[in-house]
Amino acid sequence: MSAPIGSQTANIAMTAGMPPKHISRTRRATFFSLVGLGTIVGAWLSYIFLSENGMRIAEWVLLLVFIPLYYQLNVGFWTALIGVWLMNRHKPDSLSLWHTLNADDYEQPITASTAIIMPVFNEDVTRVFEGLRSIYLSLEATGQSKNFDFFILSDSDKTSQWIEEETAWLELCRQLNAFGRIFYRKRRKQINRKSGNVSDFCRRWGKRYRYMVVLDADSLMSGALLTSMVRIMEKNPGIGIVQTFPKQIAADTLLGRVMQFAQVLYGPPFMAGLDYWQCGEANFWGHNAILRLAPFIEHCALPPLPANAPFGGHILSHDFVEAALMRKAGYAVRLLPTTRGSYEEGPPTLVDMLKRDRRWCQGNIQHFWLLFAKGWHPMSRVNFLHGILSYVSSLLWFLFLILATYLAATPTLHVQPQSLLAEKILLSVTAMLIFLPKTVILLDEVITGRLFKPLKLRLLTFVSSLLDTVVFTLMAPVLMVFHARFVIYTVIGKSVSWVTQRRKIDGGINWSEILFTFASVTLLGVAWAAVGAGIGVKLGSYAFLVWISPILFSLVVSILVAVLVSGGRSGKRLGFFLTPEEYDPPTVLKNMQQNLEEIKDRIQLPPELERHYGLMQVCLDPFVNGLHVSLLRRRRTIDVSHTYLEEICHRLITQGPNVISAQELKALMHDTDTVTNLHYRLWSAANHELAPFWATAIRQYNLASTSPFAHTLAKKDVE
Amino acid sequence: MEAVNIQFAPATGTEEEWNEAYARLADYFRSYQLHNRIRRTQLILETLRNAAKAHASDPSRTPTAHSIEQARLMLREWLGSIYSDLNLNEAQLEATGRLGFHLAGGPSRWPQFFLDEQNMPDDMAEAMRSAIRTSGPGMQVSKMTPRDIDLGMFTDVADDTFDRLGRHPILRYSVLLVIIGAVLGYLYSLFG
Repeated sequence: MSAPIGSQTANIAMTAGMPPKHISRTRRATFFSLVGLGTIVGAWLSYIFLSENGMRIAEWVLLLVFIPLYYQLNVGFWTALIGVWLMNRHKPDSLSLWHTLNADDYEQPITASTAIIMPVFNEDVTRVFEGLRSIYLSLEATGQSKNFDFFILSDSDKTSQWIEEETAWLELCRQLNAFGRIFYRKRRKQINRKSGNVSDFCRRWGKRYRYMVVLDADSLMSGALLTSMVRIMEKNPGIGIVQTFPKQIAADTLLGRVMQFAQVLYGPPFMAGLDYWQCGEANFWGHNAILRLAPFIEHCALPPLPANAPFGGHILSHDFVEAALMRKAGYAVRLLPTTRGSYEEGPPTLVDMLKRDRRWCQGNIQHFWLLFAKGWHPMSRVNFLHGILSYVSSLLWFLFLILATYLAATPTLHVQPQSLLAEKILLSVTAMLIFLPKTVILLDEVITGRLFKPLKLRLLTFVSSLLDTVVFTLMAPVLMVFHARFVIYTVIGKSVSWVTQRRKIDGGINWSEILFTFASVTLLGVAWAAVGAGIGVKLGSYAFLVWISPILFSLVVSILVAVLVSGGRSGKRLGFFLTPEEYDPPTVLKNMQQNLEEIKDRIQLPPELERHYGLMQVCLDPFVNGLHVSLLRRRRTIDVSHTYLEEICHRLITQGPNVISAQELKALMHDTDTVTNLHYRLWSAANHELAPFWATAIRQYNLASTSPFAHTLAKKDVE
Repeated sequence: MEAVNIQFAPATGTEEEWNEAYARLADYFRSYQLHNRIRRTQLILETLRNAAKAHASDPSRTPTAHSIEQARLMLREWLGSIYSDLNLNEAQLEATGRLGFHLAGGPSRWPQFFLDEQNMPDDMAEAMRSAIRTSGPGMQVSKMTPRDIDLGMFTDVADDTFDRLGRHPILRYSVLLVIIGAVLGYLYSLFG
């Protein structure tokens, strides 16, 4: 292992932070023994039941499908139970990273240079920069912000978005007096998406910093947690990555609130359990984490995978691979169980969630290539396997249900007491594996009041937990169908495009999108129910239909479920699904939300102008035009000819922005001379020479834009 | 403040054309956030007078085009005197200067000195010069080269297979159809 930077502090072992092998081994032996035992018992009971009249091929297949599903169930069960045990025992966990810091450490000034980077891609500009402002101010409040720099790394490919990011950056720097502390970088070519964006930062500025905190566009982190993370890294030079637990915040739909409630309630025990058995081989989730830059640059560059996308090519879920590479280089990857200070936002609707899952599914399936690669730590392979299983298990579950339907249609008699007993035990154990962790966690909350002290809120948490069971029960079969579909799409070569993740619902429910997405699921449910009814008529018993009815019901009503969970009736008024962040928001969140509220509906323009607001600004506003040209890299040669740019310019002026493609606009906006001249050409053109868009824009611009840089940000000048 | 000279009598161009030029210049200078109306009027008239001369020698272009060009020339000249020590091309000079004027608080602090080369206050010039911004700190380039991952023999076989399937979509769908057909055939045989 090469000497890590960050070990300058005297008397710190270079491997500090890497859990001792004997502890890791004991923990994993315990955990996987329990998981293995549970899986074997389940498989054995299943075999006894199925084999009463000899095993048919379909029954063998069913058993094969059952084993990984049961393994996964066991992993979740034991992780949660161990987590609850850890949270309730008096003796602190000997491996806890929090215990590596003592009171004196918090008094020491931070000298390590840290870059906080936020890669963005066509995100809501106001949310990005107001989030950044909150983080910046929170960090300033710690008095330790001197050695932290912020970078917004943009890959946005929409011109208006790009310009708005530039103006927001300038205004934020001006308001916070943070020039030289907050930097903006726009990549000309979006090579390798987010991971390429981060690598590009590392190549350009990586050497300047000892640590890098990676944020998502919707991330929010408190200054206290950020400084603690740096201190932990300083005290533990053997750690390459520390991953925090980002809690979901700011949801306003039922789905979003249920997800954030579930994450708040069930997340911490799962994190504690994961930390228990993952030890120094945890995963990196791509954001809200701190990385040691020198080994990251040296060891974590991502090679392309064999074959073409979607199964090969550029690695989509880069974070798991980076964690494995970091571990391979000899550095620990650790989880930092946190309850406050690390936040993110989730998808607002079921459709948005599925879009995100489609990307994640493809990324995880790609890891199949890496499963058998040489040199990984065995736990990295387990992490890859679990990632793959998290989606493949849906396909397996789907197959399981199909096989179960077939076996129900061609039943064999189960009369032996041993077989019937095995069936009963299996059903009971499975129910326990599914519901016991949740019950234990809920009881733990009701008794200890970890989330809420007032009894009323604890009782509301109890009721909310019962309600979220209903929501998840209704959604699970729908997710199963889609995830199974995504796995098949990936394997047969249907790739996903890189799209911006939607974080808020703008406008109401999109009925056509929901109908289009879920109609096939409803049809599947109806068809399956008909088959089940047919089996019932044939056999004179409707036991199978009753057994599978919760799943079929969910499929049949999937459209209604999607509408229900995507709507704004989220139970907030009644106090359901309440989280501590909603009840008592931390300062970093409160500040951001106040500012977002202030900025709402600031621009009042005709929709046509509003859609192209950034473009309008860069073309008409002398300051925005100046800013944009100033930020462009000074290049001696350009990639495209002047004739080409001239032709686009002419069309833009005479026909308006709607006739220009995104690619053409991008070419135009990258050329300093063209952008400068465009500004004057528009102002110089007589009214009859201009497209109606520009004639209106020139008339209205000064009225709409009283301050060209402030429309995306709250007005909060530092005194 | 300098007295406003409202004398304007263009030798060429129609009244309608010059009115359009006036309106455009008014909008243009307003986009500089110059809320001092008297200064704005001074600038508009000064620019129009220059434009009228230019139009007389080249009537093929509209008074509006001449007016904006004159405004641009005045700006360049003014910025040139502020940033004379920097090696900037025309686009950079204009961009840097306009941004510098905004960041220095020019529109609110020194609106009366905008484009006024003769009476430029030192602190204004200094504030504009020191307001030059870059988007990132100085680079310290590192190499971040991916290392090959030995994916093993199994992967080679899978790679070849997927590569072949990828190049031949018909083959890909045929394999899928065969698998589905086999499963359906098996189910049929079981039911039968």
